[in-house]
Amino acid sequence: MMDNSSTLHLALPAVHTAASATAPPSLAQPRAFSTSVNPLVFFSILDHYLRRNAGQDRVIGTLLGVRSEDGSEVEIKGCYPVPHLETEDQVEVDMEYHRTMFELHKQVNPKEVIVGWYATGAALNSYSALIHDFYQKEVSSFPAVHLTMDTALTNERLGVKTYISAPVGITSKADNCMFIPIPCDVKYFKAERAGLELLANAKSTESGSTSLLSDMDNLEQSVIEVQKMLERVSEYVDSVLAGTVPANNTVGRYLMDTVSVVPKVDAAEFEKMFNSHLQDLLMVIYLANMTRTQLAVAKRLEKLM
Amino acid sequence: MPSNKELSAALDIEGSVPIHSVQLDAMVVLKIVKHCRESIPATVTGQLMGLDVNGVLEVTHSFPMPKNNQDSEDDASNYQVQMMRCLREVNVDDNSVGWYQSTNMGNFMNQSLIEHQFEFQQALSKSVLIIHDVARSSMGNINLRALRLTPAFMKLYKEKKFTTEALTKAKLTFSNIFEELPITIRNTALLTALLYELETADESIEVSTSHLTTYKSTASAPANKSVLAPSFDVLDLSLDPYVAKNLENLMDTIDDHHQEQGNYAYWQRSVERENKKKAAYLLNRKTENARRTASGQAPLANEDVDAMFKIPAEPSRLDHLLISGQIDNYCKQINEFAGPTLGKLFAVGELQK
Repeated sequence: MMDNSSTLHLALPAVHTAASATAPPSLAQPRAFSTSVNPLVFFSILDHYLRRNAGQDRVIGTLLGVRSEDGSEVEIKGCYPVPHLETEDQVEVDMEYHRTMFELHKQVNPKEVIVGWYATGAALNSYSALIHDFYQKEVSSFPAVHLTMDTALTNERLGVKTYISAPVGITSKADNCMFIPIPCDVKYFKAERAGLELLANAKSTESGSTSLLSDMDNLEQSVIEVQKMLERVSEYVDSVLAGTVPANNTVGRYLMDTVSVVPKVDAAEFEKMFNSHLQDLLMVIYLANMTRTQLAVAKRLEKLM
Repeated sequence: MPSNKELSAALDIEGSVPIHSVQLDAMVVLKIVKHCRESIPATVTGQLMGLDVNGVLEVTHSFPMPKNNQDSEDDASNYQVQMMRCLREVNVDDNSVGWYQSTNMGNFMNQSLIEHQFEFQQALSKSVLIIHDVARSSMGNINLRALRLTPAFMKLYKEKKFTTEALTKAKLTFSNIFEELPITIRNTALLTALLYELETADESIEVSTSHLTTYKSTASAPANKSVLAPSFDVLDLSLDPYVAKNLENLMDTIDDHHQEQGNYAYWQRSVERENKKKAAYLLNRKTENARRTASGQAPLANEDVDAMFKIPAEPSRLDHLLISGQIDNYCKQINEFAGPTLGKLFAVGELQK
């Protein structure tokens, strides 16, 4: 992008922190601007892309999220699609729709605000700049984030990139801006992690579908994973001992740390703890089963009445 | 592309094929989990949209409903109508197929839920209720159940008569209120690509901008774990919080049950009393009449006995059904939780050796 030897002066978006407000403006350091994305956003974008009208090459939508106090960390939590039309010489975005949807979403999630917009397709053209300008007005004081998702699968990757824009050039026209890539991270709740794993199971099946796992099955899977990991590690250790693989000090140290995490408990103590835990569990199971049996008996009696 | 046969089945508005399973889109699962997770401990609801194809109810989209239900009914339906209109513009299936609710520790069997589901099922015969248990899902496995009211229950609810004879006639017990449908989850091809993408290391997503942001430490690279690296939340051994809460709920519900039983017994006793009084009165009448005829007077007219001794109506057994169902649910939950926990316990025992 910048392969000419001359330099380019960029006005990075100045992020004002509470501290730097007191410092003279020349010393105001723009913070590192980064984003984190909830995987749900990716899924929604893909879904929207799949449902696009015939003839539409790319789809756009609004990104909602929360930002940290100083504005440098943006967490993208949700999104909704916005219909738009792109022709040879102009682009139209349905602003009414965008406003309406935002109002509706605010009713459910009052804390989420507009933080930017997304588009599928990796190309950034002048229309992107125009749309970005529009969204920048919506976001007001903070830089708007633009997220692209490469659905055309160039380089066989579903590349996701996030940008903010900086004005460049002499005149400050709306479409004179450069998109600066910013780092992006994926963040999610723990429960969502379990959901993602479940979905990941599906990716290896032919039709892309999977059924819900019961708790036992889930446990079985995790135990199998741990087993595999242990096998790999023990293979590695064996080969190091046999001399076929050079020993790596860091790996050895990690292994030692891991093994020492198992708490060293006196055998008798452990026996006692184990048994009491087991007893608690069994007692609860027994009570629960008794209650169920009683209910079942009552059910039968009612039927006889 | 669906074949001709499938298309005609999809256009079968009358819905002659009963639903036997539910297929959720991956995005719907994530949306439900996210929405329920964000709003604990309050329970929240939302709408599901999709299409019913050949006995399989495909859910392709969902949106959350705002939780201030104290507002008028109009607000909620207004929101819904507006939302569906907007979604239609972006080609989302705007055919409502059900609703979802989050629950905590499985305490969802109450009157309002049944009523809501009943209304829904009356309006749309092909609808389903999805329950997501947030507390259980934090233990490493997503808990989703798809439920519908059984036809027997629907019939009885319509008449609103829950007497004991009606229940025995319809063979309705607490385990027959809901029928559970199996759930499968579907990924589209692009989604599969996305999942593979997420699994490989995160460097593809993170863009290094060290030349622009020199003050940001770029040493975060080693800390990068791929998104789908195995997590072992499910191997956590803590027993107390979950079981303790479950037991507390169980005890509360049993207290409710006890109260219900008390009510029923009270009603029975009062019926007994009325009947006894009635019998006594009749006997009195008879002796009186006999005495009168013996002494030559006209017998007293037989008054309407029933109007004098009103037998109180039987209280609705619906609560009893629901409470029993709830107790059953809690016990099942404990069982389901105990299975894997025992396994984990013994594994730790082995590890110690």
